[in-house]
Amino acid sequence: MIEIRVGQLADRLGVHRNTVTNWIRSGKLRATATVGKKYLIEKEALLQFCREQGIPDIVMQTVSEFSSVPSFGNAHTPSSPFSHTPNQEVTMSAKPIGSVLVVGGGIAGMQATLDLANSGYYVHMVEKSAGIGGVMSQLDKTFPTNDCAM
Amino acid sequence: MVEVSGDVGNFTVKVKKNPRYIEMDKCIACGLCAQKCPRKVDDEFNMGLNQRKSAFIKYGQSVPLKYAIDGQSCIYLTRGKCKACEKFCPTSAINFEEKEQIVTLNVGAVILAPGFKPFDPSGFDFYGYGKIRDVVTSLEYERLLSSSGPCMGHLVRPSDRQEPRRIAWIQCVGSRNTNRCDNGYCSSVCCMYAIKEALVTAEHTSGGGLDQAIFYMDIRSHGKEFDRFYEGAKAKGVRFVRARPHSIDPGQDNHGVTLRYTTEDGRMQVEDFDMAVLSIGMEPSADSQGLAGIFNLELDHYRFAKTTDFAPVSTTRPGVFVAGAFQAPKAIPRAVAEASTAACEAAVALMPSRGELTQQKTYPAERSVSADEVRIGVFVCSCGINIAGIVNVDEVTKYARTLPHVVLAENNLFSCSADTQELMAKKISEHRLNRVVIAACTPRTHEPLFQDTLMVSALNPYLVEMANIRNQNSWVHQREPERATAKAKDQVRMAVAKAGLSVPIQRSKVNVVPKALVIGGGMAGMHAALSLADQDFQTVLLEKSDRLGGNGWRVNTTDRGLAVRPYLESVIERVEKHPKIKVLKNAELKTAVGSVGSFVSEVRVDGEERAVTYGVAVIATGGKESRPEEYLYDEDSRVMTHLEFDAVMRDNPAALKKAQSVVFIQCVGSRDERRPYCSRVCCTHSVKAAIALKELNSQMNIYVLNRDIRTYGEREDLYRKARDLGVIFIRYDVDRKPVVRREGDDLAVDVFDPILQMPVSIAADHLVLAAAIEPNVTKDLVELYKCAANADGFLNEAHPKLRPVDMAVDGLFVAGLCNYPKPLNETIAQAKAAAARAATILSQTEMTLDAIKSFVTEKCDGCALCLDVCPYRALQLEDYQGDDSRTHRRITTDPALCKGCGLCAATCPKGGVYVHGFTLDQLKAQVAAALEAA
Repeated sequence: MIEIRVGQLADRLGVHRNTVTNWIRSGKLRATATVGKKYLIEKEALLQFCREQGIPDIVMQTVSEFSSVPSFGNAHTPSSPFSHTPNQEVTMSAKPIGSVLVVGGGIAGMQATLDLANSGYYVHMVEKSAGIGGVMSQLDKTFPTNDCAM
Repeated sequence: MVEVSGDVGNFTVKVKKNPRYIEMDKCIACGLCAQKCPRKVDDEFNMGLNQRKSAFIKYGQSVPLKYAIDGQSCIYLTRGKCKACEKFCPTSAINFEEKEQIVTLNVGAVILAPGFKPFDPSGFDFYGYGKIRDVVTSLEYERLLSSSGPCMGHLVRPSDRQEPRRIAWIQCVGSRNTNRCDNGYCSSVCCMYAIKEALVTAEHTSGGGLDQAIFYMDIRSHGKEFDRFYEGAKAKGVRFVRARPHSIDPGQDNHGVTLRYTTEDGRMQVEDFDMAVLSIGMEPSADSQGLAGIFNLELDHYRFAKTTDFAPVSTTRPGVFVAGAFQAPKAIPRAVAEASTAACEAAVALMPSRGELTQQKTYPAERSVSADEVRIGVFVCSCGINIAGIVNVDEVTKYARTLPHVVLAENNLFSCSADTQELMAKKISEHRLNRVVIAACTPRTHEPLFQDTLMVSALNPYLVEMANIRNQNSWVHQREPERATAKAKDQVRMAVAKAGLSVPIQRSKVNVVPKALVIGGGMAGMHAALSLADQDFQTVLLEKSDRLGGNGWRVNTTDRGLAVRPYLESVIERVEKHPKIKVLKNAELKTAVGSVGSFVSEVRVDGEERAVTYGVAVIATGGKESRPEEYLYDEDSRVMTHLEFDAVMRDNPAALKKAQSVVFIQCVGSRDERRPYCSRVCCTHSVKAAIALKELNSQMNIYVLNRDIRTYGEREDLYRKARDLGVIFIRYDVDRKPVVRREGDDLAVDVFDPILQMPVSIAADHLVLAAAIEPNVTKDLVELYKCAANADGFLNEAHPKLRPVDMAVDGLFVAGLCNYPKPLNETIAQAKAAAARAATILSQTEMTLDAIKSFVTEKCDGCALCLDVCPYRALQLEDYQGDDSRTHRRITTDPALCKGCGLCAATCPKGGVYVHGFTLDQLKAQVAAALEAA
């Protein structure tokens, strides 16, 4: 039996705290509420759950260390607001889905779609009108070269 | 969009799919439904200037080229009776039973590009839009000019369909206005499109006597080559009037307009024009507000998506990115570049899953055609009315059937549409065609499409030949339909003659080295390197000095006031610690050989040479502040440049606090004869500095002497804030520049104030010069890569609108100041965009090269005449042992370097070198066919 806090578990797993709350509320993750917003979880149940979610082993190990780290305190030092760390982001949770939704089929939407599709991502494009092209297709010429917009 | 849940890496999105009432896979875009539909409504594509039917396509070249029925106006769907379209549709594609569907998509990231809403000026009663017929918006005017618009490009004014001669443009309608609307920002694009419309008007109207007047507050031509465009328009007689017209009244007999305005020197003017164009701004659309609600994003005070200068496309929700005008008002190149930026951010976030859901297109094995007799199929395209409106396409089709080897000739409405492609593939196999001639538009844009169709039909893609009967014929011979038809026949005959001699050509492939080289370790270079490395590509970053950061060290804040230095330090730390990035300082690029996918360079690092192999390169060599040569700079320590001023602000603000008067002079070395471009960032920089000074000491007198204030986009807020704080802006003309002189120990600046209409003299404790930005582009670099720079020395992109970060040399990308002066947020966006574009190459293991390359024949005797003319150094001389066991010489060509320009073939006196697809036999046959009478 290990003791967790929602925020800490969320941090370790790299998901939002609400996600963890939702898991617990929906019963996906069986945990018993105790005092001080702490929950008790069967260690095996947690590991099993992590495996189902496709969370990598390394992350699971740190999760299983929970019992050996009884006092959480302020152990987690927030990283610099500037250090954007996508590599961590992706190792944390389950493997991301390799597809992107692009909303809008104007020149910007089309370019984003082509770049993503050409670099190995599946793209869903959503356009509200009956055809793509956006406002640029309504233009006659474009500055400063006076090329045909179409 | 209906609903979104989940987080970055795994979103679940529900999308409502509205019914088209026409089944996409059955519709062949024949247009019968629209022809038969009895219901007419305003055509929103043409801004309601003409009408369309309820069954419609958005525009001629629409993608997908499939009709749809507008449920709002369709008689059957609104009143339950009609179904005319269903009766006539030849493929039974009409399906009134279609219902709206909710589609659930699972995606890892989302990019929002909902665009903008053109400002609706109906609320401005003083401009009379909607009441005076000859007052139109700029977007309506765009449709009036367009050859696919309601008057087919023959410009007429709405009230009497006469050609207008005197046209007025009124700038800043719905922009830079907090009085009558809440759009305090500058829409960034209207100055340029108004100039463009004025120039295009001259092309569309016949005869002289045109008067195009643009009424403006500041002309904001702050982009690359924009100032030349502006100066060019002035030289061509477009009138620029610095005034904001007070009101527009109807002209005589309700035709035309009467404009009332006050000139800069205070005189009231009344002028008549044939029509007035309101240069409307951009607004965030209502849809985008809805999207923000669904995605739970924060918006800024103008309701654009909230982003920061350091993460210009990231919204407040992780995994959701923005592109285009939803982020801020902007022109096409920035929208395109930032779309690539958004793609880059999404790709970085989803990196582990790259390639998991995509599939490669596969083609059937090519069938051999060498032994078969030549069977040519000719497809003559109508291009809607683009070709068929002038050229008699039926006659051309009939004529094509009479040509030798032609077994099939057909006419299509749009040869490029998806259904016609399928049809062609069917015809190719039905008639066992082995050469195809497409008489349509330009191979430049459409050849790849038709080559694909051939590949789908198991034919070599180089067996297609195009005759450009649109750009080279119907567009230029609009007034001579009969002769245009005769010319189209000539063009088809020539293409058929050439196609008969085409042989299959194999495309060569090169392996892609999955490594990138980034040249320049400033903000642009570092962001490009990080974005590439975060996508798991090994990256080498070259920096010529001994520290990373470039100009970032010398700038205090971004345009939105974020401190640059802490961010810069964090970026440098990330770059230096990134396992995928190798930083080479004190490095210099010595050589560059190879081509896209596989380059090799020698780099000198600390005096040692080393070789670097890479598949793509991002050039981010940056720029620098130029040294002013006027206004007592270098002679008086109180005169400084922007960056010097920033240093004082940073290190010793107390020294400035005591100042009683600070003068800024704009355009020092920019927009003059030597540097006829705008340095883009200086207006905002001066305004920002002026605000900072006023915040230090509100009693300080601050003067900004300017030619136009170009605080584009939401930077306009800073301009307004500066004026609210009491900063005084005085405009000067380039032929009446301010004069700086010393009066005893004091500095004085003399300038002519156009509002007071008199010269004024200002005592200055400090004088800050907005010195021009120059590119750090050495001739060597341009020489090494054979890339192009413009007349001002900035590296050129492949296409100013649509490929803003690609360079003309494949595999090279450009970012930052070496491309054009730009603020930090645009630099970061461009660098990440370059990384996204580079990743489209690096994510492939091998790249297919075009097959149009030179090849050597046995007639080559090694005279080497061709070596000198080859601009790509693709030819080499080699010795070989002949059959007679003597040593001979001949040339070899490197297909990776050869661009197929044909200079070698034209130079060779003996037929020793040809270019695939353009052999002498083919060209001879084509010329012979041209000289034959039809």
